[in-house]
Amino acid sequence: MIPQSFEYSAPTSLAEALALLADGSAKALAGGMSLIPLMKLRLAAPEHVVDLGRIPGLSYIREDSGAIHIGAMTTHYELESSELLRRRCPLLAEAASNIGDVQVRNMGTIGGSVAHADPAADYPASLMALEAKVRLIRSGGERTLPLEEFIVDTMTTALEPGELIAEVIVPVEALGTGVSYQKMVHPASGFAVVGIAARVRRTNGKVGFARIGVTGVAAKAFRALSAEQALAGGGDINAAAARVADGVEANSDLYASAEYRMHMARIYAGRALRRAMGVA
Amino acid sequence: MKIDGLHTVPVSPERAYEALQDPAILAKCMPGCDHLERIGPDEYEMKMKVAIASVQGLFGGKIRITDQKPNESFRLLVDGSGKVGFLKGDGLLTLVPSDRATEVRYQGDVQVGGMIAGVGQRLIDTTAKFIIRRFFESLAKEVQ
Repeated sequence: MIPQSFEYSAPTSLAEALALLADGSAKALAGGMSLIPLMKLRLAAPEHVVDLGRIPGLSYIREDSGAIHIGAMTTHYELESSELLRRRCPLLAEAASNIGDVQVRNMGTIGGSVAHADPAADYPASLMALEAKVRLIRSGGERTLPLEEFIVDTMTTALEPGELIAEVIVPVEALGTGVSYQKMVHPASGFAVVGIAARVRRTNGKVGFARIGVTGVAAKAFRALSAEQALAGGGDINAAAARVADGVEANSDLYASAEYRMHMARIYAGRALRRAMGVA
Repeated sequence: MKIDGLHTVPVSPERAYEALQDPAILAKCMPGCDHLERIGPDEYEMKMKVAIASVQGLFGGKIRITDQKPNESFRLLVDGSGKVGFLKGDGLLTLVPSDRATEVRYQGDVQVGGMIAGVGQRLIDTTAKFIIRRFFESLAKEVQ
């Protein structure tokens, strides 16, 4: 279908883009993998679209004092194929390689995905497990928020009108950390019915550090704190995996009921943890 | 689709029941509610603007309240439609006192059709719960 008519701006500098977006009435366009289909179906009808695609300098992956900074316009393909990321933060590269299909990964961007905050997107599980931060910019200022605070609810973020995501910041993985992202794929959409990201570190044979991020299960991605505690407290993988959806109100749709989703979350948590601990 | 949930409102069941039947309060707390008008006994006409992510839809419809058991429970019938689809809902709200507050449980059946259901099936349950959660959050603030 053809979208409703809209004004289109393609600024070539960030300052120009922020000025166009300042009053909050225009919609920012990154890779367009969510916004364009919605516009073509006329479910979204923004009056003014500001295309960020011609602004130089928003696509990068670089390491700086213990952290990896990823520019908002970096595509999923650039993330999955980044040698730096594969070596220094493999969990995020693995998550990127699980998104949609090749076409989507070539167009879609990490900034666009995170700003859209789909409750079943792949990145948030890994970004939660990585305790990632997002740096936001607006005309004349910036702020940095933990992802956990940035994602407020289903498709709702802490982005203020006129604000853009500048970059996503993840830590450089410490030596000896095992990671894995395990996803049950929705056959039609490619989104995660359930997606579990795990990071585990062992000291003297025992798990001393565990981070588990969950996507697809609830209204927004979350960290499975009770499962993390169970694992770090000396519990085995199965006991920890059983607690991955503790206290969570699960989503339900035609494909997967809430009960089924909870069950699958436990199964996939077991898989992710076994992989991360190298005992799969 | 079945939908259920539980929210706590920090007032007595009497006050909560009264608030849940008060068109002025409902209009104020319903996210995106543009217009709510009484068109008959226990029947209201409503216009609502739903904006989630970049999706925006204008819905118009009717709400009917039946089977009232004051301070205990009532049934809510919703029938709405807009350019992007339609919605029919039938829900039972039960109020249970709990430690100087009231637990409101809803159990219902929702049917969503049209474009929004075709492409957004995956997100209907999540979105419905999101709107209900927003409603009860504002209601809790409003009645205090």
